Amino acid sequence: MFNFKKPRHKLHISDENDLRLSDLKPGEKGRIVEIGGSENFRHRLIEMGLTRDAEIWVDKYAPLRDPMELIVKGYHLSLRGMDAQKIAVERIA
Amino acid sequence: MNFNIAVAGNPNCGKTTIFNALTGAKQRVGNWPGVTVEKKSGHYNHSDIKFDVIDLPGTYSLAAFSAEETIVRQYLENDEADVVVNIIDASNLERNLFLTTQLIELGKPLVLVLNMMDMADEKGLQIDVDTLATLLGAPVVPVVGRTGEGIDLLKEKILRVSTEISMKARLIDISYPRDIEIEIEKLHQLIQENDVTDKHSRWTSIKLLESDQQTRDEVRLHNNGADILDQAKVSINRIEGLFKDTGRAIISSARYGFIQGAMRECVVESLVGSVDYSRQIDRVLTNRWLGLPIFGLFMWLMFKLTYDIGSIPMDWIDSGLVALMNFISDLLPNSMFASLLVDGVIGGVGAIAVFLPNIFILFLIIAVLEDSGYMARVAFIMDRVMHNIGLHGKAFIPMIMGFGCNVPAIMGTRILESRRDRILTVLINPFMSCSARLPVYVLVAGAFFPDNAATVIFSMYILGIIAAIGSGKLFSRTILKGMSKPFVLELPPYQRPTLRSLILHTWERGYLFIQKMGTVILVGSVIIWVLGYFPREVELDRDYGSERTTLTQHHDTQLADLESKFKKSVDQDRSGYHSEMIAYESSSSYLELHEQFQLLQEELSSKKSKQLYSLRQQEIGDITEQKWIGRVGKIFEPIVRPLGFTWRESVALITGFVAKEIVVSTYGVLFGVGEDVDEGSQGVISGLRSSGMTPLVALSFLVFTLLYTPCLATVAAIKRETGTWAYTIFSVAYSLGLAYTLAFGVAYFGRMFNWLS
Ligand SMILES: Nc1nc2c(ncn2[C@@H]2O[C@H](COP(=O)(O)OP(=O)(O)O)[C@@H](O)[C@H]2O)c(=O)[nH]1
Ligand SMILES: [Mg+2]
Repeated sequence: MFNFKKPRHKLHISDENDLRLSDLKPGEKGRIVEIGGSENFRHRLIEMGLTRDAEIWVDKYAPLRDPMELIVKGYHLSLRGMDAQKIAVERIA
Repeated sequence: MNFNIAVAGNPNCGKTTIFNALTGAKQRVGNWPGVTVEKKSGHYNHSDIKFDVIDLPGTYSLAAFSAEETIVRQYLENDEADVVVNIIDASNLERNLFLTTQLIELGKPLVLVLNMMDMADEKGLQIDVDTLATLLGAPVVPVVGRTGEGIDLLKEKILRVSTEISMKARLIDISYPRDIEIEIEKLHQLIQENDVTDKHSRWTSIKLLESDQQTRDEVRLHNNGADILDQAKVSINRIEGLFKDTGRAIISSARYGFIQGAMRECVVESLVGSVDYSRQIDRVLTNRWLGLPIFGLFMWLMFKLTYDIGSIPMDWIDSGLVALMNFISDLLPNSMFASLLVDGVIGGVGAIAVFLPNIFILFLIIAVLEDSGYMARVAFIMDRVMHNIGLHGKAFIPMIMGFGCNVPAIMGTRILESRRDRILTVLINPFMSCSARLPVYVLVAGAFFPDNAATVIFSMYILGIIAAIGSGKLFSRTILKGMSKPFVLELPPYQRPTLRSLILHTWERGYLFIQKMGTVILVGSVIIWVLGYFPREVELDRDYGSERTTLTQHHDTQLADLESKFKKSVDQDRSGYHSEMIAYESSSSYLELHEQFQLLQEELSSKKSKQLYSLRQQEIGDITEQKWIGRVGKIFEPIVRPLGFTWRESVALITGFVAKEIVVSTYGVLFGVGEDVDEGSQGVISGLRSSGMTPLVALSFLVFTLLYTPCLATVAAIKRETGTWAYTIFSVAYSLGLAYTLAFGVAYFGRMFNWLS
């Protein structure tokens, strides 16, 4: 009886200009615009503090280029490139 | 009187440290029912009141996202705990408070513990504890778990919150943006009007807005549950329309909004003099170029220390066991009981006991890696590799440990968070060739590939890795498909491990090993002993006694012949000897004759002992064939015949099921070399060669040995860690199937192309 589809707000994968977390280089900083991917993934990240507008700093990439190390809300977090690609960011200085 | 205290908090916030500080050594480790998540409980007394403490698994949220979260949430919602002690990492306040907001809403009497105050200072964070307590409506105790600073005050606060009604009153609600509050209030009222015995109705309302499945199922059972759910639907639609996101994301973000507000009021961050030491260390340890070599070095050191240091007490244990065996044999000569004790119990359990030092050292090193925070970096470095087989980077650790011994390795899968990853890692771990298989390789490869033994042994290790990777890929695409979780890994700050926690960790795991594996090995060894000991009297086709007499007589005649021949030649030689200067017995011609005689004599007697020995081997082989162990081997012989195996290999493989080392001692028994045969023993090698085994069959045997279930202890560990017989039986069946298929492949193609025959 109670059943509706989420998320309302789709990530604009088609948009050529949009920047993803995985596009940032070590030392670059971004602000989260939107998180795509599965429900569980989005919610997990939000619960870990990757809320909309949160600032995120790319610290480095692993020796084999994947995953990447991030600093969010003062702690270090690691995400795979394929997951970071689901996070739209805007670059900040 | 007693109270139940639950310790909750994020992973790595110091829950276990505080739990240990509270309860001292009085603790028990078990598993949560149904899942392999460690459950630690203990107790302490304070002011004549007993406090039972539970160390809950670490979670970031109560969303029931993982097994751990489900456990924590169920435990807290079921009202088993009187007081919740929420450990908060003060140096990582913002994210840690996220769980706190949920705990506050759950409405349990709460004590907040600001742990790691030393780290917060180091980071330049100044926290106004009193303001925080007012904002969150619960007592806040700053502590340093590592040094025990503040623990007494914590006990005092727990006592007061448990016993004083006034302390329990919840003063605040986490406040949400107005539009959300309106919807929460609507739901809240509706739930209360419908006279629901719901003690946490605000929590229920919020969870409904998050479309939490568990809450919805509960509400459906309420009076008017359908009305409440309808209202929830309307409310969710409204806020989702307003905020352009899912209800759950909106609520989570709002929680972070509340936290940021609180942080602004009570945290001052002075960046002066603050250094992120962990980040400095990681510049080296997870460096683009140095990260992998350093990791490799650490792994190499881990093996080196495990085996080198472990081998010292290993020798002591070994000689202790030998002394014990001799002592018992002297005490009870030739009795069945002595044989049971010496060959069965001490021989079998001792074979495992000698590995205890290795295992404890390995556990100690793992504890150091875990407690220091390096383990998370291993996951970071190796994730790319493990991702290939559908696993999390952390799964690399148990794989490496498997080269030492699969039992601790399988127990080590506990460091993995998702159950699916744990099961997958448990299932492929037995293919990592453990050290117990090495003696078998050394023996068989030494006997049949003396020039290429090292290559053959090395290829067994490689084949094991290939089998693990291949099976991992297969499983993650079939039976364990789609249960994978995204890789979201926190890299906690590096810490200097405390001795106390290292000892505790090592002992906890090591003790489980002693306890569980000791029983399995004991029973298994006794069974093998019984199978090899009975029936006492066996009928043999050949009369070995008379064959032995004939053989001896034959040699004696030959020896007599030789002697008389020698005498004759000497007499002949002497008659032609004329020198007066040197006695005939010192002449060169006599010495030459004598030397020849001695050589022939030695040759004869060595031939004699060889023949006697081989006769004895055949006799023991025949006897063993008649014992139950041999009869069992005979039963399974037809199954393994396509692989080129005889009843001997069948027996060796069956006994090897108990423990791989036993394959070698079984061959020892079969060829009558005695139980204490070591892997280089010529007796077994000559026995193997003379048994008609070809190099091809030997290779097929090695492949089988590598791939089938390593030992009973491993089976017990698989059962323990997966929690179900289904996966345990599957693992045994799968590895037997794979072993059979590949060994058959080797035998079949080998025969077809006439290799190694
Ligand atoms: N510097 C510091 N380290 C701590 C403190 N409390 C715990 N630790 C360390 O933090 C790490 C994680 O602690 P643990 O109790 O295992 O966390 P758990 O995962 O929450 O059980 C360990 O290395 C502890 O030694 C503290 O107050 N200060
Ligand atoms: Mg812990």
